[in-house]
Amino acid sequence: MPTGIGRAGFGLYLVVGALGGLVASGEVEAQETPREIIDRVDRILRGESSHGFATMEVVTEHWERSLTMEMWSLGTEHSLVRITAPRKEAGTATLKSGDDIWNYLPRVDRTIKIPASLMMGSWMGSHFTNDDLVKESRLVEDYDIEIGFEGFREGAEVWQFVLTPRPEAAVVWGRIDFEVRKDDLMPTWARYYDEDGELVRTLQYSQYREMGGRLVPALMVMVPHDKPDEKTLIRYSDLDFDIEIDEGFFSLRALQSGGD
Amino acid sequence: MPMEPWPRVGWRNLGRNRRRTVITAAGLAFGYFAIVLMNGLMAGMTAEMIENGTGFLMGQVQVHEADYLPQRSIYETIGGRDGADVEALVRALGADPAIEAAAPRVYAGGLVSSGESTTAAMLVGVDPELEPGVSRIFRGVVRGRPPVRGTKEILIGAEMARQLVVDVGEEVILVAPAADGSLGNDLFVVSGIFRSGMAELDAQFAMLPINQLQALAALAPDRVHEIAAATVDPWLAPDAAQRLAGPVSTVSTQAVVQPWTELRPEMMDYAQLAKSWGFVVIVIVFAIAIFGVANTMLLGTFERRREFAVIMAIGATPGAVLRTVLYEGLALGAISLVFGVLITLPVLLWWHNAPPDLGWLYGDFTMFGALIRPVLRVEYDVATALWAGLALLFTALLAALVPAARAARLLPADTLSGD
Repeated sequence: MPTGIGRAGFGLYLVVGALGGLVASGEVEAQETPREIIDRVDRILRGESSHGFATMEVVTEHWERSLTMEMWSLGTEHSLVRITAPRKEAGTATLKSGDDIWNYLPRVDRTIKIPASLMMGSWMGSHFTNDDLVKESRLVEDYDIEIGFEGFREGAEVWQFVLTPRPEAAVVWGRIDFEVRKDDLMPTWARYYDEDGELVRTLQYSQYREMGGRLVPALMVMVPHDKPDEKTLIRYSDLDFDIEIDEGFFSLRALQSGGD
Repeated sequence: MPMEPWPRVGWRNLGRNRRRTVITAAGLAFGYFAIVLMNGLMAGMTAEMIENGTGFLMGQVQVHEADYLPQRSIYETIGGRDGADVEALVRALGADPAIEAAAPRVYAGGLVSSGESTTAAMLVGVDPELEPGVSRIFRGVVRGRPPVRGTKEILIGAEMARQLVVDVGEEVILVAPAADGSLGNDLFVVSGIFRSGMAELDAQFAMLPINQLQALAALAPDRVHEIAAATVDPWLAPDAAQRLAGPVSTVSTQAVVQPWTELRPEMMDYAQLAKSWGFVVIVIVFAIAIFGVANTMLLGTFERRREFAVIMAIGATPGAVLRTVLYEGLALGAISLVFGVLITLPVLLWWHNAPPDLGWLYGDFTMFGALIRPVLRVEYDVATALWAGLALLFTALLAALVPAARAARLLPADTLSGD
């Protein structure tokens, strides 16, 4: 969930890239509060809309698999991910609309809504959760944000933000640490802690490349802390931003009709 | 050697104030009645709990891969990734004299969806032909019928049916993360709806033919998570599990055989607690009775103090007087016991064979996840009946001890001369 910035999601992450040229003018002013910085990172990384392709590799103790997918997003409320390979699962799609997630299952030609109780369940067998898809835009609302570290790390000037949930926020993480490079506002990693302060998982960003005219981390790797041998990689192969797309594209009917 | 007259004297003394004897005996008899019946009811409730808790779905003995419980990971099939000879396992279990029947099962967490509604479910793959021998889940079917082997049919709980707004004959979508990492999904038809009275079961469990769930979850036909077995009597399960460890390990070295007493230790603890309570009840009831009896006998011996003085004056020893009164107490106990058995037996027989329904007083309830019906079910408990009988005789004797000692200590001259 914690993905406002965590951009653990998919459609959303596309968004991540959203800066590109903006970065130059994206110099953060000194007086800005951590909240303003995060909000700014968030906005910059989020295009009005996006379209892209990615490969997801999931490695678990029991199996390894690779899925390719096509993704679309509009604002913070709408995203659609459609699996294109392997054959067995091609056509399977996930629609995010507001706080709801729907899965389209081509084999039975039916759409099911993911119940709230399963939001923390795995998305397509990966180490990302359904919740990661939904809560992308809520970090600034749900968390108090402070700067935990500011300075040079591994040759780059970074901020490390510490996000702690507000008392009334219905969130699953006890704390999120999030590192952002100062010069281009690129995220480098996010660490998710549970309510007892135990590290649960780490999301690592790398391979910053220009796609669709913006600088984006082309590779995201999620590693669960209790199973360090397992991981999920998402590799973006192509991204476009601010494309022509409307809300009708993210409807259940469109989801069911198969997109193409 | 001629029998001494004191037992007879004691017995006949009871007849001198019959009303008092009857009232005292009735008190003791009723105490006996209360103890035996209460223990019977406790035993009935325990039996109900064990039968329902183990019989509805669990079975009394289960075989799993060692690490399967409690996570129920889909990968931990018996025999590991390679699977096991399921038929051989079922046969091995069935060969044990204490085992009535055995059946394989596959479990998978998943979603059941219909229209707008989706709910998380524990999908249980069962062999529709073997399962009725092991569990009573199919007997809980309130509408429709159990799924049939080889079909894409599913039996769901009443609460799940309510949440999904589906009825018999309608279609549901099953989605389950499969063992190969893919997302298994398929359409099934609701063949029936069951009601167990257990909230968790009725809301979350769904049974489908085992091979269908294996296909959905990408498990080979020789990969199952559990063999469940029913024993002739639940209390035979621990021994049976021990005997079966050998034969099962020849099929899979990692597999363990566990009786319900291990799988559900809290039920076992409760059963033992209920048993030990029986003795506490015996002590409490007779501790109360002992004062009533002692009081009556004190009065009786006090009234007869001149008599005792006379027989002691003409040669009876204090010991003889003591024994007379003790025999009287024992006789009272014996009468009470006979009386007690006479009033207890019919009620016991009646409530055992046709337990009165207290549905008007309270509804079903569950204890340790086992359904308890609102009936006065009584189990025969011979040990308690014997112990309570002995306790009754002991009580009467103990109550007679003080009056007997007082009578034996009478000084004939003083008693006869004065007041």
